[in-house]
Amino acid sequence: MPHLKAAASRTLQLALVLWAVVTILFLMFRLMPGNPMAAYIDPTFTAEQQQALMAQFGLDKPLWEQYFIYLGNLLQGELGQSFRYREPVAERIFTLLPNTLILTFSSLIVAYAFGILAGAYLAWRRGSAVEKAAIPLVLTTRAMPEFWLGMVLLAIFSFWLGWFPAGGTRPAGASYGSLWALYTSREFLSYLALPALTLAIYSQGLPLLLMRSNMLDVMKEDFVTMARIKGLSNWTVVVRHAARNALLPVMTSFAIAVGYQLQGNVVVETVFSWPGLGRELVRAVSASDYPLAQGAFLMIAVVVILMNLIADLLYAFLDPRVSHA
Amino acid sequence: MSGTLLSVRDLKVSYSVGDGKVDAVDGASFDVPRGSIVGLVGESGCGKTTVARALTRVIADNATITGGQILFDGADIAAIPERQMNALRWRDIAFIPQSAMNSLDPVYTVESQLHEVLRRRGGMSARIARARAEELFKMVGIEKNRLRDYPHQFSGGMRQRVAIALALALNPKLVIADEPVTALDVIVQRQILDQLRGLQAMLGISVILVTHDISVVAYVCDKTVVMYAGRIAEAGPMDAVLTRPSHPYTMGLRNAFPDLKGAASGTLTPIEGAPPNLASPPPGCRFAPRCPFAMEICSKSQPSLREMSPGHAVACHRADEAPVLRELAAKTETWLAEV
Repeated sequence: MPHLKAAASRTLQLALVLWAVVTILFLMFRLMPGNPMAAYIDPTFTAEQQQALMAQFGLDKPLWEQYFIYLGNLLQGELGQSFRYREPVAERIFTLLPNTLILTFSSLIVAYAFGILAGAYLAWRRGSAVEKAAIPLVLTTRAMPEFWLGMVLLAIFSFWLGWFPAGGTRPAGASYGSLWALYTSREFLSYLALPALTLAIYSQGLPLLLMRSNMLDVMKEDFVTMARIKGLSNWTVVVRHAARNALLPVMTSFAIAVGYQLQGNVVVETVFSWPGLGRELVRAVSASDYPLAQGAFLMIAVVVILMNLIADLLYAFLDPRVSHA
Repeated sequence: MSGTLLSVRDLKVSYSVGDGKVDAVDGASFDVPRGSIVGLVGESGCGKTTVARALTRVIADNATITGGQILFDGADIAAIPERQMNALRWRDIAFIPQSAMNSLDPVYTVESQLHEVLRRRGGMSARIARARAEELFKMVGIEKNRLRDYPHQFSGGMRQRVAIALALALNPKLVIADEPVTALDVIVQRQILDQLRGLQAMLGISVILVTHDISVVAYVCDKTVVMYAGRIAEAGPMDAVLTRPSHPYTMGLRNAFPDLKGAASGTLTPIEGAPPNLASPPPGCRFAPRCPFAMEICSKSQPSLREMSPGHAVACHRADEAPVLRELAAKTETWLAEV
């Protein structure tokens, strides 16, 4: 099974990448100027108390020993204690991660569904007035900073029209029986709408332009011409043959876009006070909460790496030239 | 099975290029008798592929059929509405492309591409389509377990067989094969040509074989149409055209190709020069600038197609002197002296 073997070697590569990321993260926080304990240690602590805390966190040990302890802990899913929340980083991250993933995937699914359809349409209407007007418009949406777009949407739909809440994930004081009940509630959707729309508007340009240019290339392929010579309907030619082939690179770009989106989330989550990983990362860094920042970085890196693996596997699944080599 | 299936009359196709237009096919006329293989031969850019594609009316975006008639089974398919034309496509007029690799959709199995035409164009049920697909594979000599394979899993020759199977799927009356063996090595070329010939004879269909290779024409065709720079130079029964070529261009082509059957026929002599730019073609005979026998009249007036013997027509001012010119053309010096 060469297919399985390829997947296995790909996974091994990713494990190496992950190890590199973990190591860089470890060094980054150790080599940063300033004392990592500054935020944790109260100025009133005595020198002995400070020393005791350093020992408690293992910061008095040599760097290499710290590194192996860190790796060992990671393998057990132990990400350390947050300085600020005084609770395990892993716990904190896993309460925030679903919010970030929901925001990322809902916005990207909307962006890709729209981008693919609009891109295919614009390729089909090549040279028309619609296309001439649409392309600059799409480029404009690509060029708008997300935080600015977010604020404009907030100003219009939240502060002015009052259609959507301004931030957070739920009304103040509201409580839900379970996370599932929260995520499926109507209120949650109204809170999700604006940040997701912001990210969707920002992200639709890539699939749209990619789909359009792929379609234009594929429409020139011999098999599309042959489909016409076969007398197949326009729909069959454009959708079954041209769009199906043009879709391949767009689908893999989806997985890679998830990684990009996580970076974008840092900004949008902050604008909309969305309790996600991105916003927490910003706060953790500014509050010198090193374990939490390190854990959040690591989590984002893991998602990006995983999505790259999925992109590869997806391509093999969608393109028989890769899977049936 | 007699009579004419297809009759192309004074066909003109032009491409708009930049501000101008190029008459890629400028008044082509030829007939395709029922149950025969007609070779359409000429150099790259002579308009042969444009003619082939014009017969399906699926032509490049910047191309237009600007004149002439395409009488297929008595009806002028150059003039019928697109709807009617589309009904004829593949059911009556099928196509075998040059590169079967690029003309098969890479993401579907060969079976699914056969089923597509059988079901969507032939209106067959899934069960009948499956049986027909197996039958077609048997006809072209591929094992039916390979139906589930994707195009890239076939070799070049096998893919070309798949393309033949696809073309024959709906029992067309006419199959247009555009350089069907050009991308293949000589051994496989022969196999594919033998198969095409066999199936054509068995099914009694007509085939137009577009090629630049006159030895391919000699190997399988009943009739030859020689094109040069968008016009017909010579047309007639294969034997007559190849043994008694009456146009200097045909004589030159004969010298320039090795024999597909492998018989060594001495040295090859190229025709010097290049075909004219069709954006501004020379007045008179378009071959005149490269013709070793050109006279004054050749660069002034355009020779029309004249019938020399039954079915054998030539567009040359000196066609009456053909026997003498043939002897001269057989000598290498004749062609070298010119340039």
